[in-house]
Amino acid sequence: MSQTKESRIVLPTRRKLLKASGLALASATPFFGPWAHNRVWAQSAQAKPLVIGLTMDASGQYAASGGEERLGAMMAIKEFNDKGGVLGRRIEAIHMDTETTPATGSRVAERMITRNEVAFLVGALHSGVANAISQVAQKYGCVFMNTNSSSPTEAGKDCHRTKFVWDGNGTNFAHAIVKNAIKVNGRNWVLLTNDYVWGHNTSKATRAIVEANGGKIVEELLVPQNTRDFSSYLLKLQQLKPQVVATAVGGDDIKALRQQVVQLNLQKSMAWINNQQDWPDVYGLGPESIFGVFGTTWYYRLDLPGVKEFVAGYQKQFPGMAIKVPGNVYHNAYMCTRELLRCVEEAGSTNNLAVIKKLEGRRMSAKDRMQHFDAWIDPTTHQVQQTIYMASYNDAPAEKDDIFKILANVDPKEVVDADSVKSCKLETYEATPSYQQ
Amino acid sequence: MDTLLGPLLQLAPHLANGISLGLLFALIALGFMLIVGVMETINLAHGSLFALGMYVALFVAAPKLGWFPELQAAYLALPVGTRYAVALFAAPLVVGVFGLLLELCLRRTYGRDPLYGLLLTFGAALVIEELIRLTWGSNEQQLPLPQSISGAFMLGDLIYSRYRVFASAFAILAIAALWLFLERTPYGAIIKAGAHDSEMVRALGINLSRLRSAVFALGVALAAIAGVVMAPIWGIRPQVGVDAVVPAFLIIVLGGVGSLWGAVIAGLLVGLVVGLTGAYASEWSLMSMYLLFIAVVTFRSRGLFGKKSALDA
Repeated sequence: MSQTKESRIVLPTRRKLLKASGLALASATPFFGPWAHNRVWAQSAQAKPLVIGLTMDASGQYAASGGEERLGAMMAIKEFNDKGGVLGRRIEAIHMDTETTPATGSRVAERMITRNEVAFLVGALHSGVANAISQVAQKYGCVFMNTNSSSPTEAGKDCHRTKFVWDGNGTNFAHAIVKNAIKVNGRNWVLLTNDYVWGHNTSKATRAIVEANGGKIVEELLVPQNTRDFSSYLLKLQQLKPQVVATAVGGDDIKALRQQVVQLNLQKSMAWINNQQDWPDVYGLGPESIFGVFGTTWYYRLDLPGVKEFVAGYQKQFPGMAIKVPGNVYHNAYMCTRELLRCVEEAGSTNNLAVIKKLEGRRMSAKDRMQHFDAWIDPTTHQVQQTIYMASYNDAPAEKDDIFKILANVDPKEVVDADSVKSCKLETYEATPSYQQ
Repeated sequence: MDTLLGPLLQLAPHLANGISLGLLFALIALGFMLIVGVMETINLAHGSLFALGMYVALFVAAPKLGWFPELQAAYLALPVGTRYAVALFAAPLVVGVFGLLLELCLRRTYGRDPLYGLLLTFGAALVIEELIRLTWGSNEQQLPLPQSISGAFMLGDLIYSRYRVFASAFAILAIAALWLFLERTPYGAIIKAGAHDSEMVRALGINLSRLRSAVFALGVALAAIAGVVMAPIWGIRPQVGVDAVVPAFLIIVLGGVGSLWGAVIAGLLVGLVVGLTGAYASEWSLMSMYLLFIAVVTFRSRGLFGKKSALDA
């Protein structure tokens, strides 16, 4: 009894190890090979798990947000598994890093569908990655939930029957913010645009709304992805002297930009608007870096029923996280995964067309989503129309993480992206391959 | 005259900014240049060691430990400037020691196909980045700066960052110090001799293994110094090393492998090109360094100062 664990371990000789391995292999062989077919049958009889493929960035420009949306999806999956899964099947999630790279997104989606036999794909931040995943998903008919990428093209010209876009898009945010900013700050604007699909299309929407409201775009500066040094842009801005700088810059780029603007004190000499500010991109930056006005779809201190419990659930499930409270990215991923699983349950099947029909036009109450207005999935574009919040830095925080001051909440009906409706041409049901796992 | 003066006045701040940017690029490339030039090893872990330098500096300047709370409180009561100076000194030291350990692993690759060294340092880069992630998390962090070098100052009617001026001046000092070390000290002479003819150096009784270790540690320490200096500009993230290793590699090839002044001139050229395109053709600003690289290497495959090396700079 007093023997220590170490003293009981007897290291086998090489010869003994080889013998034992050979014996084990020989005795195990009959259970494989000839029985493989029956083994598969037996598994399906016991209701094989429903596998969800999480296509989320763990590296690259959106790594931090990728981590948060993964937690959101996992939380929804956990809640369903605690209730016994869905359709009597346990839900399993597999995650592969999409590396904030469209080519990797395609590869991951292809692999998850063909090798891992996932029932659904969930996740995306970078619109180029989301577009790449959605093309593969549509080819096979696999339902893809784009959790957090918000280029207007995602539910516009790049829409697909199998894709559902969960985040507010650049046009929604621009509608919510631009008119008022022209009134308050002035008509001369400069656009600072991340040089990829989301940046371009968001700035395009901002430009149209600025010009429609009597404003003028003095210049548009394109910021290549992964730009770390913004000094030349900031010098140029000083020479242009705009009244408003509207940025469509995301991920690690916006973090670097915010810090460098503060170093030059430029947040005081011109008004700054960031179309959409994801929570992981601003969390921990320090109060002085959270300047200007920006859009979001959710905040952890909204005074609405269920919000406190939702935050407590996050903290209980994920203790010790660097991001102590959930933000919009987590909220979108959670809501998206939960709604998908609800639809599977309601459809009574994982068949793609049955699930798609449940999702199309679906209405979700404000209370259920912990927002100010009801949300719905537009059946013509597959984009979730949800409450848009305008926020700025909170100079009277109730606690350390209370860094946003919500300035306004905007009804989704007021910020509809009419262009997406015109440009989105969903494939017909007949042209969408049937898919079921 | 006025019509010419206007655009020139508009251009001047961008030229100055480009030079400042170039000095910082050169600082990032120095350690890489030293290791490639002397040891003929392409250290793909340069970027991760650069990032590690940032994190060690962060740990030293703003420690967050549960142990010895009173001691920690007393240390944190020191002025930020003192803690920043300690960090600037300690980070290269700690990362340099880490470099010594890495060099021990690298020894088995000497004299073999260069791919072995390349693969080993690539693997080390991944391991270091993950270690950083595990230790400090994935979130953005900030290095506290002393008041005297933070904020901005007016330059005509333009605002410029004080820290950038400090960082550029520091880069000039680091380049000068490295040049003096290589050119004016007996240790520098041994390093140069080791790169020229390692067998002869060994025959003269100099311990070549120790020499290689010292050079590798020095190169790694320089990566860490660059990391500390760049931390307030680029921000501190586990993956920030990728942003450093690519321009560093480009600069040493552009300048000519092993040439100290080649790296400095190439850094300045890259800085100017990136700075000017950022202002006048912003969508080309990152691409411009690669175009410059292609243009130079097409006509001069050894780079600008390819025949020279750090050893006869």
